[in-house]
Amino acid sequence: MKSPKLKILSWIAQFAAAAIMGQTLYFKFAAHPESVQLFTELGMEPHGRLLIGAFELIACVLLLIPSSIVYGALLGACLMAGAIIGHITELGWEGPRLQLGSLAIAVFACCITTLIIRRRELPLLKAIQTEKPTKRARPKD
Amino acid sequence: MSTKLAINLHKLARFTNTAIPIFTLLSFLAGWRISFYFHFLTVPMIGLTLINYYYLFAQRNHSLLRNFGILGQGRYMLESLGPELRQYLYSGDTEERPFNRTERAEVYRKANNVDSASSFGSQNDFDATEVKLRHSLFPISKENLLPYRLTFGEERGIQKTYTLTVPFIISGMSYGALGKSAIRSLARGIAQTGGLMNTGEGGYPKYHLMENCDLAFQIGTAKFGVRQEDGTLDDQRLADLAAKDQVRLIELKLSQGAKPGKGGMLPKEKITAEISELRGVPMGQDVVSPTHHPECEDYHSTVAFIRRIQEVSHLPVGIKLCMGDPRQFAELVAEMKRQDSFPDWITIDGAEGGTGAAPKAFIDRVGMPLFPALKSAQDALVSAGVRQRLKLVASGKLINPGSQIIAFCLGADAIATARGFMLSIGCIQAMQCGSNTCPVGITSHNPKLERGIDIADKALRVANYVHSLEHDLDELLCAAGARCVRELSFDHLYVPNETLLYPFAHRI
Repeated sequence: MKSPKLKILSWIAQFAAAAIMGQTLYFKFAAHPESVQLFTELGMEPHGRLLIGAFELIACVLLLIPSSIVYGALLGACLMAGAIIGHITELGWEGPRLQLGSLAIAVFACCITTLIIRRRELPLLKAIQTEKPTKRARPKD
Repeated sequence: MSTKLAINLHKLARFTNTAIPIFTLLSFLAGWRISFYFHFLTVPMIGLTLINYYYLFAQRNHSLLRNFGILGQGRYMLESLGPELRQYLYSGDTEERPFNRTERAEVYRKANNVDSASSFGSQNDFDATEVKLRHSLFPISKENLLPYRLTFGEERGIQKTYTLTVPFIISGMSYGALGKSAIRSLARGIAQTGGLMNTGEGGYPKYHLMENCDLAFQIGTAKFGVRQEDGTLDDQRLADLAAKDQVRLIELKLSQGAKPGKGGMLPKEKITAEISELRGVPMGQDVVSPTHHPECEDYHSTVAFIRRIQEVSHLPVGIKLCMGDPRQFAELVAEMKRQDSFPDWITIDGAEGGTGAAPKAFIDRVGMPLFPALKSAQDALVSAGVRQRLKLVASGKLINPGSQIIAFCLGADAIATARGFMLSIGCIQAMQCGSNTCPVGITSHNPKLERGIDIADKALRVANYVHSLEHDLDELLCAAGARCVRELSFDHLYVPNETLLYPFAHRI
């Protein structure tokens, strides 16, 4: 991550992801009927709902702490990938589900954007993050 | 492969690369048909599959990853853990370089004022590689020792001589190489002992001056702080600096042990706005000093330049050099004799490398190691009949009393060490001096890292270290039956045949 513009873009994406994920938490933890209905269809009610809610909460927090942004983005992207799979396989896209599904895709996109901008901060990928070798001229040229 | 039990890594990698997508598919099917919980497995597996394909087909930088995919990553991971693992778990106590654990521990104990006696024998090899001190059959007691006094400039009869009372000098480390907290800790600590600190070649010694210790101002080849536009010496600025009460000596650095024949180097990571101002250098690029002083082109001009600095500064002036060819050194001494003009001391720097950043070839392969270099210098001065005209200071890995006493026997009048004092203020030999990431904040300008240094606490350790070295030196002198370091000589050394000093012991 070099230019300040990219940094700002990354922060916008982080805030967007955290905000969208954060506002669904209320429905999950408060056992809103619609949320219960969704997780019943997935066969995860109630433990899965609480577990995923907890993971999303963690992802939101990590996304906003500077030293852990990439980890939050990684977790968020995984959770949203799961949500998208859910929509594809079980939930479908009709009616209000379309809105929920699009929000999941939006958060997924935000998390991936953050990850791409901050790929140098990913811990295990260091090995492939070296730049392509640049050309070095002969000393006298 | 010699044994049947060996793992065929090529096959394993092929198997992994096939298995990952299959396993991903299976977990997806399980999540779809059996329980949605299986998707907790599906999602990471999809990620793994994508990364694996990226490694195998998209990236072009790493052959290993192109050929073997994700499994090849294991090598990089283990390799990156290697140095720490080796240091913490596998290195023996006498294995590490430049200072092994027993050497470092001795400094730490001295700095903490903890008893450094060890039991049940030495860790060193004695067969043929260790130089040792020959003690006397009749050791003397401490009351008979003479107090250590070394007066720089007495030979020339100048007014502003400087008398050193502590034989251990903090060798040249500039603000730039070290952070300000580290500099101030060292300066405050050495001030408590009444000792001397060298400023290094980092320009105006702002932080060195803060703690009221005696300073030797070093002029490097770039002449930071006393430079004219064209890179030559600015007499007026030197005179102004020399007029400061704290600046007691001037040292002209011809070359240094870490990179003899090459100018000093400050990596761009460590150049802050303040450093760029103090040195008068631009930010954002490495600062590489010239290889030599423009004033010093041959023997004659070098000696004349030393004399000029003496005349301008009115202070004792010494030179620091790392020995390349002893014959050249002898020639330089002969020229001094011809002009009847000597520096007030010569610091012989061993080629063992210092804190400074330097190209690996220079650290490893250029210059003479300290002991033979020091002995050559001593011999050259003695055979020219001018040993009494100047002092000799030795530097280069002399962090422990055992190596320091050898240097004294080889002719040194005082010891300078940089890394010994760095260890005393908590250096853990992380070897990151050039990257501004020193984990204990000594060679870093990052305020978050410098925060770790509590100046008062570290100053105490510096003073403890010096006092402890003095104590051990006294005991060694007593054992050798010498009343002061001047009474030590080469004959006090036992020199076995696999040491660098052996050729000197058996010369015809």
